Amino acid sequence: MDAISVKNLVKRYGALSALDHIEFQVSPGECFGSLGPNGAGKTTLIRILTGLIEPTEGEALVAGHDVLKRPDEVRRAIGVVSQAMTTDLDLSGYENLDIYGKYYQVPEKERKKRIADLLNRVGLTARADDLVATYSGGMRRRLEIARGLIHQPKILFLDEPTIGLDPQSRRVVWDLLKEFRQNETLTVFLTTHYMDEADFLCDRIAIIDAGKILVMDTPENLKKKIPGSDILKIELDAGSDVAAGPIEAFSFVHKIVQEKQDGGAALLHIYVDQGAQAIPILIEAFQKQGLKIKSISLKQQTLEDVFIHYTGRSIRLEEGQKVNYFVGAGVPRRWGS
Amino acid sequence: MRVLAFVERDLRKFSRNPLAILSSVLLPLVYLLIIGNSFQGTLKRLPLGLVDQDRGPYAERMLNRLRSIETGPGTIEVIPISDPVAAEAGVRAGRLKGALMIPPHFSKDVSRGTAPQVGLILDNTDTVSSATLQQALSEAFAYLKIDAIPVRPDVRTPQLYSVELYRKIDYDASLVPGAVVMAIFMGTMITGAFNLVMDRFLGIHESYLSTPLTKSDIILGILISGVFVTTLVALVVLGAGIWLTQLPVAGGLSSFLAVTLVIILTAMGLLSMMCVLLARVDHPRIVGLFGGFLNVIFYFPSGAVYPVESFPAWLRAFTKINPETYAVHALKSILFKGAEWRAVQGDLLFLLGFALVMLFVSTWTFKRRL
Repeated sequence: MDAISVKNLVKRYGALSALDHIEFQVSPGECFGSLGPNGAGKTTLIRILTGLIEPTEGEALVAGHDVLKRPDEVRRAIGVVSQAMTTDLDLSGYENLDIYGKYYQVPEKERKKRIADLLNRVGLTARADDLVATYSGGMRRRLEIARGLIHQPKILFLDEPTIGLDPQSRRVVWDLLKEFRQNETLTVFLTTHYMDEADFLCDRIAIIDAGKILVMDTPENLKKKIPGSDILKIELDAGSDVAAGPIEAFSFVHKIVQEKQDGGAALLHIYVDQGAQAIPILIEAFQKQGLKIKSISLKQQTLEDVFIHYTGRSIRLEEGQKVNYFVGAGVPRRWGS
Repeated sequence: MRVLAFVERDLRKFSRNPLAILSSVLLPLVYLLIIGNSFQGTLKRLPLGLVDQDRGPYAERMLNRLRSIETGPGTIEVIPISDPVAAEAGVRAGRLKGALMIPPHFSKDVSRGTAPQVGLILDNTDTVSSATLQQALSEAFAYLKIDAIPVRPDVRTPQLYSVELYRKIDYDASLVPGAVVMAIFMGTMITGAFNLVMDRFLGIHESYLSTPLTKSDIILGILISGVFVTTLVALVVLGAGIWLTQLPVAGGLSSFLAVTLVIILTAMGLLSMMCVLLARVDHPRIVGLFGGFLNVIFYFPSGAVYPVESFPAWLRAFTKINPETYAVHALKSILFKGAEWRAVQGDLLFLLGFALVMLFVSTWTFKRRL
């Protein structure tokens, strides 16, 4: 039985489709990632799977239970780490875990033992009795991961687990998740817009954009799918008008994706074989067109390149936040991003 | 266990906000002191201009009567003015509450019995002051022509003897039940649904909506913690109010238990009602707006400040469904009259019914998903 099974899932908000006929399965013990920019539908998807919102159409089974028909069974089987920090600031780390454990009716003796163990594994034993308001962002996130595991769920859902954290804290969280996966026999479903995070943690990744799954496979297979082993990033002066034909005519060039930067400069992602040999040839070709090169870099494929290959743009573009007009600006109305 | 866990969470968070606890106790007491001293106190030193154009014996007698009111009850302060035009101008300008004009032939008219008249120019936009002035001057006018007042009452005239059933309650002491009800309302503002709104505002509600907590668990949890805190606050306000106003409380332990039951039922009803009204709100600013509005429309028509019998018909109809009306009535009956259960069972039944209806509606309307 699949840990998660999603068939023909649709979520509409008025005329807008936040999810558009999504289908996938996650095997038990797998770490599955949903990768895409803000506004792609990742949080909407995770909220449907965790029973926080209802789908418009389709079916979603989590731990064998329908999220619409048997939401309580789903909630008992899963742990959730939300994108927003949801631990109570007025309670201590220990109290947050204890009260959460009581929501799941974990017996007292087992609960105390579990809390001690989890606090030790996330490195918060010394700060257990301090109010969460005194914790750093990284500490709070580690506590929330511990909280999501207090009742030993079968599936752990994480929505952007390292958003807003510094690189060091992010690495700590990654290592924790890897360790918990190994020791807890856990299925993990996470959403992220960080390529390196998905690459490091996930067994399989679904790239989502505008509510649709564009492609789904292991990170290595996704990178292999894009033509060319290397990616050349070439930035040209503002106002440059590149004739792609002469560049594409080279046999070692597989694909050119052109992005407009702020200020009008053109950024070209050129998928090539053997990038080191390709550089002098391409420089000469651009000079023949009278174009001035501002910068040039060579790198191996990443998931970002996979994303650019399928969508034609990088993942850094962000959607604006919706505002509640009645209450006033500054109050974001979340409807699933 | 789940409901109690939710209660525990609320109570722990509340206990770490001493400012909220302090303000919920102090504000009703401040209201008690301010309202108690703002309404229905005895008016003193109302400035009254006096223009005496007569200077005869009865004008002199009138002036003496006015001076005795000035030095005795102190209701008026007599300000002699020579010019009638200046006196009227003083009333228009607000320097005087009224101006008494004794005409030139007043004493002669009194002697002859030819309809003597004294003019009283009033600032009638201030109805309370003008009524008080008229009352005081009527007393000064009474028996103006009579030189001696009989000592023994006239036995042929019917006499009215008043019998007071209970001990005298001063006006500020009579506000203690209202202060308790206000404390209950303030308790409902800072607990219960307010916590749900703050959770939604901070996004924290996602954490417990992902757990197996049911709607009943959540609503009951916040109600139990809210009733607990509100009851404690209200009892503190009750004790402080009794001490501050020296209220002579009727009844012993059974009265205390009855008062506590009234407080609990009122808190339950108001907390549940707030859960219904704030079911979809996710910004604390709305709670403040709502709370200020509801406090006025529930509190002042409850009879806490002024008798409901003085209200117009449409407002009296509202008092029939206002839970605070029944709470105030029950508290007054218990505290001032030492009433038994039977005397307040109607109030208790309404409060219980209101609480149960609101509990059902609040659970039914609570949104279990985002």
